[in-house]
Amino acid sequence: MRSGKLNPARDPGLRTRWGRLREDFVRWVTRRHQADGRRARVTRDRVYILPTRQGYMLLLILLVMLLGSINYSNNMAFLLTFLIVGIGHNAMWYTHRNLLGLKVTVLPVKPAFAGAPPVLALRLEETDGRPREALRLAAGEQESPPAFLEPGASVDVAIALKPRPRGIYHLPRQRLSTRYPLGLLEAWTWLTLDTEVVVYPVPFPVASVLPAAADGDGEAAAVPNARDALPDEIRDYRPGDSPNRIAWKTVARTGRLFVRDSAGGDAAPTWLDWDTVQDPDPEYRLSVLCHLVLEANAAGQPFGLRLPGQRVGPDAGPEHLGRCLRALALFGLPGRSPA
Amino acid sequence: MALLTRTRVHPPELLGLWLLLAAVPVAALPHAWEQPPWVFAVLMAAWLWRVIIHATNARLPARWVMVLLVLAGGTLTFAEFGTVFGQQAGTALLLVMVALKLLEIRSQRDIVVSLFLSYFVVVTTYFFNQSILIAAYSLLSAWLITAALIQVHGGRVLPLGRLARSSGLMMVHALPIMLILFLVFPRIPGPIWGSPHEDPIGQTGLSDRLEFGDIAQLLENEATALRVRFEGPAPPSSQQYWRALVMTDFDGRGWRVDRSRPEIPADGDGPGDVAYTATLEPTRAHYLPVLDFPVGIPDQARLLDNLQVLASRRVDSRLQYAGHARLDAPPAWPLSADERTRALALPATAAPRARVQAGLWRAAHGDDDTAIVQEALQLFAGEPFRYTLRPPLLGGDRTDAFLFETRAGYCEHYASTLAVLMRAAGIPARVITGYQGGQWMDAGNYLRLRQADAHAWTEVWMEDQGWVRVDPTAAIAPERIETGLSGWFGEDIDAPAFLRRSGLPWTVQWRLRISDWHDVATFRWESLVLAFDPERQRELFARFGLDATDWRGVLIALAVSLGGLGLLAGLIALLRRPRDRRDPAQRALDRLSRRLRRNGLAREPHETATAYATRVRAARPELADPLADFAQAYTHLRYADLDAQEREQFQQQLWRALGAAKG
Repeated sequence: MRSGKLNPARDPGLRTRWGRLREDFVRWVTRRHQADGRRARVTRDRVYILPTRQGYMLLLILLVMLLGSINYSNNMAFLLTFLIVGIGHNAMWYTHRNLLGLKVTVLPVKPAFAGAPPVLALRLEETDGRPREALRLAAGEQESPPAFLEPGASVDVAIALKPRPRGIYHLPRQRLSTRYPLGLLEAWTWLTLDTEVVVYPVPFPVASVLPAAADGDGEAAAVPNARDALPDEIRDYRPGDSPNRIAWKTVARTGRLFVRDSAGGDAAPTWLDWDTVQDPDPEYRLSVLCHLVLEANAAGQPFGLRLPGQRVGPDAGPEHLGRCLRALALFGLPGRSPA
Repeated sequence: MALLTRTRVHPPELLGLWLLLAAVPVAALPHAWEQPPWVFAVLMAAWLWRVIIHATNARLPARWVMVLLVLAGGTLTFAEFGTVFGQQAGTALLLVMVALKLLEIRSQRDIVVSLFLSYFVVVTTYFFNQSILIAAYSLLSAWLITAALIQVHGGRVLPLGRLARSSGLMMVHALPIMLILFLVFPRIPGPIWGSPHEDPIGQTGLSDRLEFGDIAQLLENEATALRVRFEGPAPPSSQQYWRALVMTDFDGRGWRVDRSRPEIPADGDGPGDVAYTATLEPTRAHYLPVLDFPVGIPDQARLLDNLQVLASRRVDSRLQYAGHARLDAPPAWPLSADERTRALALPATAAPRARVQAGLWRAAHGDDDTAIVQEALQLFAGEPFRYTLRPPLLGGDRTDAFLFETRAGYCEHYASTLAVLMRAAGIPARVITGYQGGQWMDAGNYLRLRQADAHAWTEVWMEDQGWVRVDPTAAIAPERIETGLSGWFGEDIDAPAFLRRSGLPWTVQWRLRISDWHDVATFRWESLVLAFDPERQRELFARFGLDATDWRGVLIALAVSLGGLGLLAGLIALLRRPRDRRDPAQRALDRLSRRLRRNGLAREPHETATAYATRVRAARPELADPLADFAQAYTHLRYADLDAQEREQFQQQLWRALGAAKG
């Protein structure tokens, strides 16, 4: 992950000529689809269906059966052969209907750290009142285990993607497919859901760095841990205050919204600075900062993150943590990767 | 699930594998009666081996073992049949290979291949048996195989009820396509290669030779020989003589068919003739039983000058044919000198006492042949002759022994003896075998003639009338002719159960009743399905003004029928589409949003109707009025407590506003 190859747009499937051709074709087919956003519905005009290898195999066997029926002028053999032809033909319709009308929603992606597989979670919803079986959802080269849905139900499908270097990835396309019931045909649809997968740098534990950096930097303070000792100051809630800081006991007593204001004198925010870590490898610096950010967040302290040309915070809370980690993930990368 | 470490089969597919293991013996079972025992033994052994592999978590046989087994299977088949092609050998080979395939199933793909082959096994069943019972049974096999296929692709262990239902529904949904292809797919007569029937199976029923006791022997045989449907009312039983074989050559012991007669043209049917359709069970012979006297014969048959009808091909499978009969008068056809000689021939030593008797009658009546015939019938009716199921064995000259000593016999005794007497008196005579009587099946509206209904009678040549039928049985046992076998033997405790009218235990009665139902079902099945051939197809096409022998006609029929089916299916799908369950106001709002989407003014999911209208108004001030009306009506319809009249008013306002808010 610390190799220099950092271009997230490069998909291993595109390396071969066939892979590129295929990609061009798919792009050509799907160019008429509008981007799906966070939700998509599998409509008739975007379901494709083709026979599988098993389908062609049955076709061959049916041909032999038909020859036998003709040769021996056997009406019952004709009947059974044509019955299976009918079943095979109708499989087209069953397979198509198994996919049609499903709703797919992107669920918030759990952040992942480089090296661990990011998990893409999508929700499948059934609203047409028929059970669905053996649905497979694929993103990139990864495919989910088969999912099924009872009428009116919904199910969350997770696709564990390949571990990737830090960055923000947009999986250009997802493929929802099924071969149910007979495996003779595969129906599929391409979704262009807005799936943003953020991969953070790997946290690199270096406990000793933090105090030293705090000493060296005038603005930064050592991690103070005396906050709990001081009585919290209670003040009126102002829009924008974190819900974590609402003083629920006081609210219950008075019926008004109060927040605990802990911006006391010695609760000055800690600054985690790019320059705190001295190393020629920027990835290493980011990893260390990632660890520090997680540590500071765990301490429940307000803290800020300073990167070259960028400053986050100071603040506290999960959203702030998200912003910091995102800044680390994106640092030095050319904007958003092409979709 | 430790066994999964040995094979790449996951739980959903494992259940599919078990279903395959259930389906293979079910599909192969009907072959147990048709194949040499070792074929089925190989199948069961392989099956058991596979089950043991699962039960004990053993390894699958190694590849070289499989190669040896496959070679052994092929060799064994070749050793048994001398070939591996054709119906019998090909089916045996298929069964052996399906069995061995069970031992090397390692992946989902292998299960699927085995299931496809199982469909094939079901089809081969029909090469040996096309009965309605087999049809019903093979539906069960196909249902199991389809269920297994669904499970293999189910992605999870499917509930058994859903599996059973899905498989059944798929088969039901396939029926229309099956029916259309069955009727429309072009039929080519005859085999493309090979002979459809290689296996000689012993002939049952009537044979080319007739001796005393031959027909009495058939009395125990309750199998159906012929089923007949009449186009008008059925003629009375006493006039229904189904003529199969005409025997002219007598050697002193028995009669033999004369097949070398010249062919004559059929008269063609006229008014008053009886039209019928007969379905003959396989006889492995050429004769076709026809109603006396034949004036119209089936297309692929010949009429000989002794009024015997022969099919152009041996009847090896059930055959349906149409015919016309004139009940009263045989076609007038002169008796050739050669035929007269043969119809008078008697071996020199045959029946000396009968010859004396015939000489006496001739002396008494001079030229009056009719009187001589009457004398003979008088003899049978007046003397103590018995018509019996179990005629005693005869010694010496059989004709004389029967005529003067035992005087107990079945129809062939009387027919043969009468013919001998006539020939001795100088009247040309011959013996006819066929069927007479039978059972009327009300449920199927057809006449069922069993092998037991086999009968023999005599024809004599009258100079002024030609060949005249004389049935001596009618003189001795008239009930046999008027009401069939059970009319005569119905109270006889020695008679076979199916002929008796009383004194039967209820179990036997039920067996007979079921046998009757089965016969009716077989008849229906035969006339509906099995009788469909190139000729029927031509008739069907002609009814729609199409030509079944022309590929354009076939294409039109296929396109129209399948297209019609597609339209029908589409229509049903349309009618069964889930109804729009949205509230009418919501539907109007969605429509407005869709309309304005082009201008980039689609409603955001979180926006209320009022907020949306306000936002749109900012971008499109000219729509301010209709939008305000729309938002008001929408809000009232959705949230206010309205009576019916107010609701109507707001509905109208809503739709008016929607109409006015044109993008």
